[in-house]
Formats: sequence, structure tokens, C-alpha cells
Amino acid sequence: MAITRRELISTVAKAGVPAAVAMTVGAESLHAETESIPIPSAAVGLLYDASICIGCKACVSACSEANDTPADTRGDDLHQAPSDLNDLTRNIIKLYKPEDGSRSSFVKRQCMHCLDPACAAGCPFQALHKDPETGIVSWTAEECIGCRYCTITCPYHVPRFQWKGFNPRVTKCELCSQRLEKGLEPGCSSVCPTGAVIFGPRTVLLSEAKRRISKNPGRYYQERVYGETDNGGTQCLYLSRVPFEKLGLPELGPESVPARTLRWQRRLYQYFALPALLYVGLVQVIRQRLKGHEQEAHEREKETGLRAQL
Amino acid sequence: MSTATIGNAPGTTNEGRWERAVPVYGFPVVNGFFLALVAMTLLAFALTAYRELAGLGPVSGMNDAYGWGIWKTFNVMVLTGLGSGAFAVGIAAWLFKRKRLHALMRMALLTSFLAYACGLLLLGIDAGRPWNFYWIVFPWKWNMHSPLAEVAICMSIYAMIPLALENIPVVLERLWYFDSRLRPGVERMERGLHKFFPWIIAAAYLLPGMHQSSLGALMLLAGERVHPLWQTPFLPLLYLGAATFMSFGCVAGTTMLCCVVWKRVMDMEVLDEAARITAWLIFGWLGLRLLDILFRGALGTAFHADRFAGVFWLETLLVSVGGWMLYRSVRNHDTRMMFLGYVLSSAGGMIYRFSPTTLAFRPNPESLYFPSTIEVLVALGFICMGVAAFLLVVKRFGILPAPIQEWHDMASYFRFRRPYIRWTGYFKYGFFGENEPTDSD
Repeated sequence: MAITRRELISTVAKAGVPAAVAMTVGAESLHAETESIPIPSAAVGLLYDASICIGCKACVSACSEANDTPADTRGDDLHQAPSDLNDLTRNIIKLYKPEDGSRSSFVKRQCMHCLDPACAAGCPFQALHKDPETGIVSWTAEECIGCRYCTITCPYHVPRFQWKGFNPRVTKCELCSQRLEKGLEPGCSSVCPTGAVIFGPRTVLLSEAKRRISKNPGRYYQERVYGETDNGGTQCLYLSRVPFEKLGLPELGPESVPARTLRWQRRLYQYFALPALLYVGLVQVIRQRLKGHEQEAHEREKETGLRAQL
Repeated sequence: MSTATIGNAPGTTNEGRWERAVPVYGFPVVNGFFLALVAMTLLAFALTAYRELAGLGPVSGMNDAYGWGIWKTFNVMVLTGLGSGAFAVGIAAWLFKRKRLHALMRMALLTSFLAYACGLLLLGIDAGRPWNFYWIVFPWKWNMHSPLAEVAICMSIYAMIPLALENIPVVLERLWYFDSRLRPGVERMERGLHKFFPWIIAAAYLLPGMHQSSLGALMLLAGERVHPLWQTPFLPLLYLGAATFMSFGCVAGTTMLCCVVWKRVMDMEVLDEAARITAWLIFGWLGLRLLDILFRGALGTAFHADRFAGVFWLETLLVSVGGWMLYRSVRNHDTRMMFLGYVLSSAGGMIYRFSPTTLAFRPNPESLYFPSTIEVLVALGFICMGVAAFLLVVKRFGILPAPIQEWHDMASYFRFRRPYIRWTGYFKYGFFGENEPTDSD
């Protein structure tokens, strides 16, 4: 029953030493791959300035037109007025209006196209993936198993699952990539009458946002661009006069959600080295245990005249 | 080994020493309860067919905020934890040389296999696009850093290869007794299997260790939306820890229940050992959990008057009271207290593993999820399928541990009381009393 010292030492040596080696190897290779998230070479995105949006919702209908989705009139069978993003709605305008009468604001919600997207980090077979050039996060039907993990992981609650039908799809903004290929702008930015949402390369959008902030001191919340560093940086950027949290953009810190939460997971499974070494160690220990066990079973077999069982 | 004194006067041997796995004989497989289980299973299958046509929305309470319902969060994430017996009991028996626990091994392997099989089947039904599961055989398609890929791949491989192979000896044994003409073949297969056993058993400990912890890692990506009492970098380790003590509870508790139902002798040596290990696993787990909460500074939220604090105290209370009862029950071999300890601690562990996805999940915007009737019926149906399969297997295969006398009783039962039942083959292998000639004579 008790483990002798000799066995303990040999067990620790057999399983522990390789494990320790693997840990250090894994940890070092992780340091090399430092936390800075690469920005795609041709990263494009949207800049939405909530302070000039008039809430006309032209972008909402333009979005469904551009993506060839039927207008979502499920509310009253008449108006295209979805209450939130859903399986037919990739883009929506919402209104934040506090009851105490302080400043209200419209907000346009669509995929943020994070630099390190949590949805793609969790997607088991890479149905959601980030384009290495444009950085657009898109969904492919062929790889999706419909697990709905993306709806859990996305900190902005963007991907939506189609709950009806035998062949459900995941719906999210893909920056109208089919229009971009034709040299057109995304549906939403092409129709915006006030220029509240503009499309362009991320670097251009970022400098434009900073220009607006410096031109109008005191106008924008915290004088910062949401998405410059938030959640490791996003390709869709926001400017607002009300706190971002009120618009459904949580304060996530400068580190991306996957980098922050899966650090240990990634370290332990680096190159699969630790599990592989652990496996070899386990095989050695169990081989030795089996020998003793079989011998005991054999003796017992002779004693009782019955076939060994347990 | 045989100088145990539990339940006996010092110096005498342990009369009830479990050393054979004896089928439950003398009880029919088909009875009212079994038929009810089968009916529930068939109903679940019919509803499943409807779900495949109609989609998930019409049959379940899942919505955009709660993308995961009880099929995943209870039947898979909780019940496979309860069915990790092959992992926890196996590690205690093989790696830590708790040799007496080998008596419980077949129960552990069977319950694990059934829990995993039913869980995985329901996982396939819960997936919206299950036909794309075939990517599982193309490793370059795996997202190696995704906890869910880890769970899906590792769990299927584990249940289909190491766990299934570990259960094969029981089937081979049945064939060995079934017909003497099968024996050379069976023995050859057994020898072949034994050659690979170290590799199979090692995989059967590595893989569950990986996916039972990755089940916890699933909710790490949800970040702040999981209440701070649960959301911690130690979530994978805590999930794994909960799986170990819950599965000990499941294996030992089910064995005790079977002993009561089918009037078997309990071997207090084995049960005390299991209870002692479970109690210490629970104390270690509780310590880690409370220290983690303390160091993250989340303890304050446990005293708010909300549902989160309620769930937290309920689960902590159940686990700690269960652990304490297990610890106490060892002292005077109190089986009643021991069983209750297993039930309470496992229930607490189940609530713990259920919470991060459901009870302590705070989607933004706040929304509610309650499983629909069809959803509950399907979940129940798949549990009933496992229970029905368990009842069938323990009555037809040598699973349940028993003293050696039970084996001889069974052999003489089939020899003298049911001479027309020949297919068991057991009537030839036993000690049939003083005046009976045995095979060796």
C-alpha cells in the first residue's frame, strides 16, 4: 500500500525530470513569442464616431442589402427593427438614453475584428479565422460544427447562431469582404449620410481619430480611441462622448482576452512536449506496476483455481 | 493483505474481501424499471429526430445570451466529471499503489465508459452542424490552442480507444466462459491486449487529465462574464480536482448502492480506503478553492445577497459536509454516513462544475435561460440510456466486486437451480460443496 522511498524517487525521476525539462523548454519558447500581437499588413476597419451619428439606421438596411440577407421584420412583420444583432442582422444601431436625462448616444454595433480574436482562439476547427492580410475575421460553413463557443467567448457578444432550421449558420460582420474584392466600400460606410462611420486602413483611421480628438479637446470620453489598445487592439475603432461601457464596449484592458486567459493553457500544450513526455513517463511506471500485478494475479489463480479477474 | 481486521475480530481474515467480479445473477434484466428507462430513451431518440429537423431553437431554451444549454453544460461538462472514475480510481490504484482499489476498477471503467458515451452522443446532437465533425481526423485542421478543440478531440479519442479497450477484458472473459471452443482465440487476444496495456492505460490517464482540465479552461475565455467567485486561472485545475472526488463518489457510491439493492457483502477495507482518499481529495480541493478566492480578493462577493453567493455557499456546504461525513464514516465503518457523504460531495461537485457556464454566467445584456421540456426530456433520456446499459451489463458481465464465496454461490446456482441456463458457462467453474466432485478430481 505504502510507496517505498526508492519507488518514490524512481517515479519522480521517471515522470518528473522530463516534465521539468518540458516546462522550461515550453516557458522559454513562450518568452520568444512575446505578448505583442502582430497587426496584419493591410489591416482595414471602420471608425465610428458616436458623437456625429444621427441614428438614421441607413447602415442597417444597407448591411442586409450588401450581404443579401432578408430584412429582419420578425418584430411586427412590417418594420426592419431587430432589437439586437441576430442571425439576420450583422449591424445594428442602438440608443443609450439614461433616465436621468444626461447625455445620450447612438451606438453602431458590429464585429470589432479584434487583432487577437477570442472567437477564433476558441473555434475548434478554425471555422472563424482572421485573414492574415486584411485582418478580417470571417466564418466558413465547411469547418463549423455549430458548437456556439464563439457566442460564449466573444467579449463583445457579436457572433450569433441561427436557432431555427437543420442547417444553422453563424452570422457576424465580415466587413463586406465580397464588396471589398470588387473595390467597393462596406455597405454601412458607403451610405452613412453624416460620415459617422468611415472605412479605411486601420492606421489611417487611427490617425484620423486622433486628429478629431486633438481638434476638439474635451469632447470625447477620456480623449481616447476605443480599440487602439483595448482587448489587444481592434480594427474597428470607436469615438464617443459617453463612457464606452454604456455603449456595450467593456473595459478589457490592453491585453487581449485569449492572451490573458489562455496563457497557462498555451504554455502547457506548447508543441505538445509536456503531454508527450508525461505519457512516456506514465508508460514506464505502469509497465512496472503491471508486472507485479500480473504476478500476484497468477499466484492467486493457482490458489483459488479460478481465472484471474481484477 | 489478508490480515485485515475490519468488521472482524482481530486476527481473523476479512470474510467479505472483494476479490471476484461476479455478475448479478438471479435477477431478471427486464423489469418495470428497466422498461421505463428504455421508454425514456426511445422518447429521447424521437425528440432528437425532431431536433435535427427543426433546429435547436424550437426544442431548447437556449438563446443568443446562453449559447450553451444543459446538454453541454450538464450532460457533458458535469456527467463526464462524474464519470471520470476510470481516471481517478485508476491513478490511485496503479500509480499510487492503492492495490485494494483494483476491486472497484471494473465498476469505474464501466461507469466512465457509459458516462462518456452518452455525453458524446448528446454532444453530437447539441452541435448545430454535426456533419462537420469529420475534421477531427485531420490534425492540421485542429486549432491546437482552443480548449474546446482539446475537449472535443481528446474526449472522443479517449472514449473510443483507451477507455473502450480497457473494457474489452470483461467482454473477452464472458466469451471465455461462454464456449470452450472460443478459448484459444480469446486467450490469444488477451495476450495481445496485455502487450499494449501499458500504452493504453497511460493514455487513459493522460487524456482525461487533459480534457477534464480543459473543460474548466473553456470558461476562461468568457472572462468577466463568469462571476469572480468562479472565474480564476485555476479553473482547469479545480475542474480536474472536482472530477476526481466526484468520480470516486460515483464509483464507490454506485457500488454501495448495488450492494444494497442486490444484497451483496460490502468489503469495508476497500470502501474505507476509497472514502479516506475521497475525503482528502475533497479537503485539498476545498483548500485550493478557498485560498484562490481569498488571494484574488473575491471573498467579499460571497457575502452579497444574490444568487451567486447562494450557489457558492450551497456548493461549498455540500462538498465540505460530504467530505466531513466521509472522513468520519471511516472511523466506525458507517456505510450509511459514507453513502450520504458521497451523495452530498458529488452533488456539490456537480453544482460547482455546472455553475461557471450557467448559474454563475452573466451574459451582457443580462438574460435568462431555463431548459425547455423537450431539452430536459432528451437530457434525461440519455442519462436513462446509460443507466439501462449499466443494469444490463452488471447482470450479464462480471463487473460488481464480491467475495470469492459469491462466485461459488453463482456457479452452484447455475448448476443446480437453473440447470437449463447453459450459456453462462459458469456452472462448470466453482466449488460445489463437500460431496461434489470438482474439475480437478
